[in-house]
Amino acid sequence: MEASRETTAAVHSSSVASGRTLWKDLARDRYLYLLLLPGLFLILLFRYAPMYGIVIAFQDFNIFKGVKGSEWVGFDQFSRLFHSPDFYEILRNTVLISLYKLAASFSIPIILSLLLNELKHVLFKRVTQSIIYLPHFVSWVIFSGIIISFLNPVDGLFNMIASQFGGAKTDYLGSSAYFRSILVLSDIYKEVGWGTIIYLAAISGVNADLYEAARIDGANKGRQMWHVTLPAIRPVIIILVILSLANILEAGFQQVFLLYSPLVYDVGDIIDTYVYRVGIQEANYSYATAAGLFKSFVAMVLIVSVNKLVKMSGQDGLW
Amino acid sequence: MGLTRGEKAFSVLNYLFFTVLMIVMIYPFWYMVMGSLSDPIYVADGGFFLKPAGFSLSAYEAVLKNVSILTGFRVTFISTVGGTAIGTFLTATTAYAISKRRLRGRMVFAFLVLFTMLFNGGLVPSYLLIKELNMINTYWALILPAAIGAWNIFVMQSFFRGIPEELEEAAKMDGANDLTVFFRIVLPLSKAVLATIGLFIAVWYWNDFFSSVLYSTDKEMWQLQMVLKDLISNTSNAIAQAGISISYQSEVNEFTIKMASIIVSSVPILLVYPFLQKHFVKGALIGSVKG
Repeated sequence: MEASRETTAAVHSSSVASGRTLWKDLARDRYLYLLLLPGLFLILLFRYAPMYGIVIAFQDFNIFKGVKGSEWVGFDQFSRLFHSPDFYEILRNTVLISLYKLAASFSIPIILSLLLNELKHVLFKRVTQSIIYLPHFVSWVIFSGIIISFLNPVDGLFNMIASQFGGAKTDYLGSSAYFRSILVLSDIYKEVGWGTIIYLAAISGVNADLYEAARIDGANKGRQMWHVTLPAIRPVIIILVILSLANILEAGFQQVFLLYSPLVYDVGDIIDTYVYRVGIQEANYSYATAAGLFKSFVAMVLIVSVNKLVKMSGQDGLW
Repeated sequence: MGLTRGEKAFSVLNYLFFTVLMIVMIYPFWYMVMGSLSDPIYVADGGFFLKPAGFSLSAYEAVLKNVSILTGFRVTFISTVGGTAIGTFLTATTAYAISKRRLRGRMVFAFLVLFTMLFNGGLVPSYLLIKELNMINTYWALILPAAIGAWNIFVMQSFFRGIPEELEEAAKMDGANDLTVFFRIVLPLSKAVLATIGLFIAVWYWNDFFSSVLYSTDKEMWQLQMVLKDLISNTSNAIAQAGISISYQSEVNEFTIKMASIIVSSVPILLVYPFLQKHFVKGALIGSVKG
């Protein structure tokens, strides 16, 4: 009895003390909180308020009744989504387009940076880099303008050349057979140069003695790349591939949005464009929010598991 | 050590390869410049693949008289300057606060920032929020939602961590508070990372068109890229609707104007490109070391 009273008293006084230091700490750091506040406010308003808005995925949301007045429907929107043939089409398109892009963006920048690294003429190398980085900074709007005018069925460059050789004029962008290839190729064109940066940095960190030793052992350029350079940059490659696997549902919204048309919905419509069309343009707010939530949720599961995987492989994770 | 014959051959082929690659990368831009400078009368016959067919600045005259392009420049300019100023400043203040390990609740704040990288509310709730806030057709809608992001905050935070504590302690001895330390010591030491993050943000705003798609129902509030998108896709829609037999003359004029519009709107990015490239490469590397 006596002992327990003492403990209570001790607990009491220590919590009072820690309360006092808490207030002291808060007062000491008041200006830090002041600095934090506006940024935190923007994050809460523009990132967290929309997360609250997700509740409309479980409603039959009516914009005039608002979140409070709209009817709750449980998982009806999701069951509508999963029963819709659209869903399998957009999921397939999203995954296929981003897998194709991943395959290209994984392999080509590695090869390019190996070759770039062999350019010994400093000025030539610098000019090359400046030029192949450039498309990364050009907006997709401008890029889509270039693509549309090159592929124009009337007088686009490709069709002009094809007709010189007696080929028929084709509407490439309106053709399901070509659309995905156009997406992948134009994405490579725009981002491949930029993709070399990280590899080049990793390559420049390779110990020059290793190449010398390999040469003495009679290894030619190709064997040096294979046995020295590639193993040295392997950790970077693994991390980048794993990270892009986490983004498998990001098929490139802006690019598809700017290039697609109803003619190629069957091969080009992805989750993001579907959510925009059905949700914003056709004002099916609840249904489109459910589709968006499906995507955000899968993406979160992917990135969390990928981070685990990276950590298990002994590397530093994202957090 | 001399090069073997195989190595020499490889080297020659390698230079050749990159020369071709550079030409491929530059050609579309060259083609557009030549197209835009061509005389509309000759454009129909092609022939401006390497040099302009005829010569005319009429397309540029038309572009510079185009009210919607000028409006687009204004809207984009205001949102880029506003967004970059607000975004860079608030990224720095937020990052500075959560870089201090002594700050109570730091883990909670850092987690709140981190979690936005993992999960988001999605397009429709974000759109409804802006509607609810009555921000449709305002600059606020074009500027505020994208102003600060988790990635930039973490990059900046790791930079601030590298600034020696002693500087802060010395200033505190002299009676400085956290605000003075931040503005007088930390910010001046962080010019490089501020420039890098600022440029990341600025390029994002300059190239943004989707905020206008969502939040600008009034054409007066269209960003430049949105105006361009409209200009580009209108012709292609016109072609799609009319089949392939659209009247040649008018379509050709639209072509040179389209090319000239694209070029005029790319000029600002190209002017700052050397600067951009330097800081972006730096930024990409900070990010990768951090990541």
